[in-house]
Amino acid sequence: MALPRPLRSAKILKFLPFLSILCVLVGVTWLLLLPLDEYSRNTYISENALLPGGVHTYFSGSEQNVFRAYRHEVKALQHAPIEQMIETIESIFKGQGLKVGTQKFRYEAGGKIYEGENVYAVLEAPRGDATEAVVLAAPWINGDDQLNQSGVALVMALARYFKRWSLWSKDVIFLITSDARAGPQAWVDAYHDTHTPGVASLPLTSGALQGVVVLDYPTTNPWDRIHVLYDGINGQLPNLDLFNTAVHISGHQMGVRASLQEMFEHNDSYEDRLRTMLRGMVNQGLGHATGPHSVFIPYHIDAVTLQVSGIGHHDEVTMGRILESLFRSLNNLLEHFHQSFFFYLLLAPRKFVSIGTYLPSAMLIAVNFTITAIGLWIKSGKRSSVSSHGEDTPEPSSITEEKKPLIQEASSSAIPSNSSPITVTEHSRSLLLPISFILALHFLSFLPLYIFNTYPSPLLTPLFALLSLLLPPVLSRLLHLFSPTAQDYELIKCFSLLLLGLFLSALATLNFSLSFLVGLFSVPFSFVAPQPSGRRWVALLMGAALQVLAPTTALLGVAVYMREGVERILLEAAFGWRVWGMWTQVVVWCVWWPAWVAAGVGVVSSWCGVAEDKEKSR
Amino acid sequence: MKLLRRLIAVVLVASSLLSATTATDSTAKGPTDYDEHLSLKTLPGNAVLASFSFVTNGTFDNHHSVFPRSLAQILEHSHARELHLKFSLGRWDSELWGTPIGKAGGTGVELWAWVEADDDAGADKQWRTLTNALSGLFCASLNFIDGTRTIRPVMSFAPEGHHSEKEMERLHLLHGSLPREPVCTENLTPFLKLLPCKGRAGISSLLDGHKLFDAQWQSMSVVIKPVCDNGRCRLQVEQTVDMVLDIERSLQRRDSPVPKPLPVERLNCDTSKFYGTGDSCFPQTNLGDLPWSLSEIFGRPIKGVCPLARPSREAHVCAIVPAERSIFVSQNSVEIKYPDGTRCFVLPDTADFDVILPQQSPALPLRLELPPLYASRSFTGHGQERGGVQAVLRNPSLTETVDFVYLESLPWFMKPYLHTLRTTLSPASPGFEPIQDLFYRPVLDRARGAHLEAALRIPPNSTLTLSYDFDKSVLRYTEYPPDANRGFDVAAAVITIPKTGFAIRTTSLLLSLPTPDFSMPYNVIILSSTVIALAFGSVFNLLVRRFVGADEVSPRTQRLEEFKERLLAAILRRTRGEKKKME
Repeated sequence: MALPRPLRSAKILKFLPFLSILCVLVGVTWLLLLPLDEYSRNTYISENALLPGGVHTYFSGSEQNVFRAYRHEVKALQHAPIEQMIETIESIFKGQGLKVGTQKFRYEAGGKIYEGENVYAVLEAPRGDATEAVVLAAPWINGDDQLNQSGVALVMALARYFKRWSLWSKDVIFLITSDARAGPQAWVDAYHDTHTPGVASLPLTSGALQGVVVLDYPTTNPWDRIHVLYDGINGQLPNLDLFNTAVHISGHQMGVRASLQEMFEHNDSYEDRLRTMLRGMVNQGLGHATGPHSVFIPYHIDAVTLQVSGIGHHDEVTMGRILESLFRSLNNLLEHFHQSFFFYLLLAPRKFVSIGTYLPSAMLIAVNFTITAIGLWIKSGKRSSVSSHGEDTPEPSSITEEKKPLIQEASSSAIPSNSSPITVTEHSRSLLLPISFILALHFLSFLPLYIFNTYPSPLLTPLFALLSLLLPPVLSRLLHLFSPTAQDYELIKCFSLLLLGLFLSALATLNFSLSFLVGLFSVPFSFVAPQPSGRRWVALLMGAALQVLAPTTALLGVAVYMREGVERILLEAAFGWRVWGMWTQVVVWCVWWPAWVAAGVGVVSSWCGVAEDKEKSR
Repeated sequence: MKLLRRLIAVVLVASSLLSATTATDSTAKGPTDYDEHLSLKTLPGNAVLASFSFVTNGTFDNHHSVFPRSLAQILEHSHARELHLKFSLGRWDSELWGTPIGKAGGTGVELWAWVEADDDAGADKQWRTLTNALSGLFCASLNFIDGTRTIRPVMSFAPEGHHSEKEMERLHLLHGSLPREPVCTENLTPFLKLLPCKGRAGISSLLDGHKLFDAQWQSMSVVIKPVCDNGRCRLQVEQTVDMVLDIERSLQRRDSPVPKPLPVERLNCDTSKFYGTGDSCFPQTNLGDLPWSLSEIFGRPIKGVCPLARPSREAHVCAIVPAERSIFVSQNSVEIKYPDGTRCFVLPDTADFDVILPQQSPALPLRLELPPLYASRSFTGHGQERGGVQAVLRNPSLTETVDFVYLESLPWFMKPYLHTLRTTLSPASPGFEPIQDLFYRPVLDRARGAHLEAALRIPPNSTLTLSYDFDKSVLRYTEYPPDANRGFDVAAAVITIPKTGFAIRTTSLLLSLPTPDFSMPYNVIILSSTVIALAFGSVFNLLVRRFVGADEVSPRTQRLEEFKERLLAAILRRTRGEKKKME
């Protein structure tokens, strides 16, 4: 690496760790500033065609009687077999004059079987040409294993009501999925003909899906507010216009408050905004499906789930009118959702931060690794292996001379020339060992990726935690067979961090939250290094810190956060991998874990690596 | 009830009482100049198919009596010998309604014609003339049928008119379609103008834009062809309007334009449910056939007979309804019953004519004709780089093998890979080759689209799935329409059975292409242009304006002179000053 002359100054090397820390601090502070009024914006409807709340809604009166009858029907089927449920819903839809299709599906993930059947009806738009469609969906059993009785009944009542309008410009599809997780995925996959062999094809399709609204309304009691779920798989988000339309219609037209990210008592204070944002970031970072709508988003179909919550004075008529108004707005769409943001962080129902504002924070954290890696590269070339043999301080021993720039060639195979005493300050680096070590480590990472996604047994985590504890010393031992020098360790760390910085900055543009969270957990990797024998307690502390911030620990942390058992989380992850196409695992095992192991090996080398160095210098 | 009152108010003749002698077919008479006919057919799901047909005959010389002169001139000018133009909206539901009627085209506008020319280039020129002329005549964007949307089908279409062998050699068949064209009243008005009675009298008086375009499915067509019998040829224009009306929606629109919820008392509840009908109401489904009348679903009765139509003693309106269902018609009309159960009516000369069908409960079973083929087509896959098309074709017959031609005309930015063309039969029948013949003309960027024509065959009671993959092109910045994010429509596939002349269309498709974010460049251009315009305007203003005190202003008449002088002086000064500087 031919650096410009000033950069070759050793002084800059001293300065780099501080620059790294500064990046991290600024990055974190940046994120913490976002909830302030100065850095966030009020939401607005960008697509003028939507005209949210611009229509009068008529869903009321005798429609409520019909709704109640349907709810009785649904409730009577609570313990009935799924075939009977499908049959009843099918006959109701058919009685309304709609076309009905059913679809069986079966998935296998992590040794468990997920199967069920979806039923859906297509309301063909009068004079429509089947080029576009919108979907109103309700899972039969919602995400909390409750019977979605009001939700399913309301979808059927709205189907009957919508049929009487002649203004539809798009087909309306009414979808009842037998569960909230696998069913929607099976349906949307089959709709695009990308389904797996266990999933049946759809007997009946319509045009391109323009929007999806999922209704999760299990209660029969009056409710107080709606809870809008918007996160998609892999942290992808629906267009902000759809979310805004839902919030605008419920708030302005119906007087129903909206909440998000389970922040039911949101008083728009800094803390509440920050918590909302962080919860959103965790959901996006985990990349899992927060509701049945999530699986539509990877297909570039904008979708939200509306849940009811609290105890208040709103009933099914209010919800019906919200949906009526929302579908009238969707019906107005002339183009696919594109006007508003696809990358945003929501702080409150009407407050958001756009990508331009928040992106630098994750980028700064990713940059910190790159800076450290560049520093290590310079440093590894600065110090001659001969001069450094006495004491192994991390600082370069000679910082006086910088006047003899030598052309450095990345000699890939050469062993450091220790035949003659070299007094120059720069020397060639041996790259073979570090590069092959890093490559091997990254290849090794496919092992946990495969094992965790295939056999999500509860025993696996402790086993793997133990393995994680033992792996760095074992690898370190293994590395010893090749008699690594201090420079090798530096280069291992350098490449590991370089890759980490590269991956994270690329990831930040795709899934900001995941990049930020992994980056934050990985910050210590920049600062852990082999310690001299006199400061082994530092190494011990570093090792402890690494163990605390291990991917496996993060797994436990997620389990605690979600208030679920580790086994459940692992099953969820395996399900997500196999069914939803979640990529979080790839990032954790193939980006984060190798970097973590590399850092661990560096720390452990305080015990063996240094001794070897001495031995070698003899 | 409104209907009952109407029944009493108009003195009606119950059809069963006055069944006139079963008439013999009236085709024995020679051709008349103009003929019109309306057929009403009840369809399952409380729908009515109304088919209007208007046939006008003309001579080949320039003496036009009722033949529309505008059409004749266009034909003469563009050397078109046969022409089919179809405007359609919605989709024909063959599962529910049975065999589609033959005149329907794909969604939007479809045009094909045989034009006379020496070579392909000449044909293209005539075709351009034709589309432009028709575009003006029918207020449709037919002029957008350019080279990229025009194909020359080889197997799908055969001329309906009579052309001699010698003529056929010089005829070129061209076909184009605009799937996105919204068919509306502006197309109906010129359509009605071509009729001799122009929608004022006769059955065409029912054609009102509001009702026509509230139909579930609707199609208008114009077919011009030479018809010969016994060596005497004439030019015939057949105009048809077909529509399927949803009775329930039409009747409800009569009461209120908004489908407000019915009062609880008027709901039909299922009383057998365990939760009763107290505050719940499970709606009854099979309510029987709803009552309807012409004036209710069309908003007006037929206003007498068109005097120019064939002898008014002949039936112009026919109803194809189950024999058990009673039909009431207005006074002074005569009913003719045909052996196949069709009931036809002779219109009164001047009085209004209405057909009323009372409520029928339980619903009468309707005899549906199974179509020879069901077809549907959809996109597979997702993403903006590539995709796939899947056409599912089902042969419902238990005994007959169906031979048909599948025609696909794709826009140039959709590039199919012919090697990925697959056919799968289910149930599988080994040794059966579904593809009999294949014609393919590949895409030329921005010059012509892909044209795929396949002669296929399906064994009885089987489903054939035809699929192929394609690539999506990236368009140039200026090639996107203003609503680029909506997607691009792909015209319907045309499926014809050459043996019977049966033809159906699939639905059109919406193709999403990689679309740049137009908002940013537009905003930048607009904003920077505004800034430049503002800056230039004010700077220019400051440069040329002279500021003078209010008291210095001279009387009006001298002002202009003075301004000229000052301007001259200023220019002189400046040039002198510059000269000095230069020195």
